[in-house]
Amino acid sequence: MGEHIRLGADVVDGEALVPPTRVSLAWRDLADGLGMFWLWSSLAFQDIRLRYRGSILGPFWLTITTAIMVTAMGLVYAELFKMNMRQYFPYIACGIVTWNFINVLIVDGCDSFLSASGVIQQVKLPFSVQVYRVVLRNLIVLLHNIVIIPVVLLLFGVPIGFYSLMFLPGLAVMVVNGVWMAILFGMLSARFRDIPPIIASLVQIGFFITPVFWSPELLGRYGFYATLSPFASALDVIRAPLLGHAYAIASWPVLGVVTLAGWSITFAMYARFRGRLAYWV
Amino acid sequence: MAFLRLRNVTVDFPIYQGTSRSLKKAIFAASLQRNFARDPVDRVTVRALDNVSLDIEHGSRVALIGSNGAGKSTLLKTLAGIYEPSHGTVHAQGSISALLNISVGFNQEATGLENIMLRGMCMGISPGEMRGYVTEIAEFTELGPYLDMPIRTYSAGMSVRLAFATSTCKRPEILLMDEWLSAGDASFLSKAQQRMAGFVDQSSILVLASHSLQLLEQWCDIGLFLHQGHIRAAGPIKNVINEYQKTVDQAA
Repeated sequence: MGEHIRLGADVVDGEALVPPTRVSLAWRDLADGLGMFWLWSSLAFQDIRLRYRGSILGPFWLTITTAIMVTAMGLVYAELFKMNMRQYFPYIACGIVTWNFINVLIVDGCDSFLSASGVIQQVKLPFSVQVYRVVLRNLIVLLHNIVIIPVVLLLFGVPIGFYSLMFLPGLAVMVVNGVWMAILFGMLSARFRDIPPIIASLVQIGFFITPVFWSPELLGRYGFYATLSPFASALDVIRAPLLGHAYAIASWPVLGVVTLAGWSITFAMYARFRGRLAYWV
Repeated sequence: MAFLRLRNVTVDFPIYQGTSRSLKKAIFAASLQRNFARDPVDRVTVRALDNVSLDIEHGSRVALIGSNGAGKSTLLKTLAGIYEPSHGTVHAQGSISALLNISVGFNQEATGLENIMLRGMCMGISPGEMRGYVTEIAEFTELGPYLDMPIRTYSAGMSVRLAFATSTCKRPEILLMDEWLSAGDASFLSKAQQRMAGFVDQSSILVLASHSLQLLEQWCDIGLFLHQGHIRAAGPIKNVINEYQKTVDQAA
């Protein structure tokens, strides 16, 4: 037990072996990973390319799928809710495109480390590389879907102006949140394999209780409460400017709290369990 | 000057079999038992390395010898920094390249050339720099037109060529290799050995785990005999191999 073996030519003086703290290791992991943007961006683009290798339309299947879904839901629900098509169609188009992004940030985020287990087991890399890769991958998917929005806005005569661009801050905040979600959910999913289906079903429920395809006004005096959830807030900060509406009162405060709390919890967990990830995947 | 230093390194593996990975069991166990010092979910842990202290200095070509489950692969992964040890510290200086497992290919659907780029980038080499190496790598592998095919169509030997050539393109200071090298044919092995001789002369480190004692004797000068997570013997390769064979004979 505890034998000390020396192999090789020189015996070097005993250098102080002060192991860095977990917190500083976690910071370094996040920062070094971010610095390797050429790696995670190539990995993200390759993920998309490989997913559609051999298909003629390639990633534009994403666009088509979303366009069909928007059209189908737009037609049915406008009738069901007795809504004016001119207003409802742009509303649901922006709603579904934005929701798909939120949905995939969470659900695909669960897979961030598990899907990269091959790389994680073979090479020492900052784990966060896999996280940035997942977030960028889903941002690329969003860019394929988002082309639907200007088309719908033009078709239904929603004015497009400088204010429409105000969806960008909302998008940026969602990307920032996407990073912590991919870390936290990715880590939990690697440890407990029950987490991905649990999260997927929660998000599925989220789709129905969030004003994606229905308007909060339909709930009457309860409508305000529907706008308070993190899902609704995330949706609102992207959709409202696109439609030329004002943000709901609660959206930015709720998102602010979610971002701060999410990052705090995630960072603490990451500092604590980052070293175990290679064992878990 | 490259070196690898391990101080009192212990690696415990949690074995998540079936139910112990489930959330239900974790919650249930937490609510029943107050004593968290005991593993609450009856998790089996395997001690793969037990309090190992080890210095490997530059210029060493180290052979890891030991039966299955002796801790060779775990030691390699710990040296590579992939596993952070449960106790103790690992201090490495020098660029590390680890060729640990080819069956867990980087991307089976991508072509050989794409995988060269991918693997290179995962080793921390920027795409621009990596492009400079591609021709040389392609030449070394002798795979020719196969490089444009997805690597799922490759044989084990072909994958070995690709992985080896890519991982060594940028002369690593520390090269860690597991078992699978023997999947290559004789002409590849001699070619690989030539390439390796080149680096090790430049004061780098090679750590090679294999069951082929002949290969180890050819490539390495120092032996490290691992047994159940302990270092059983260390020293000149011939002595350690003798020691190992004695144990094997005794067991038989």
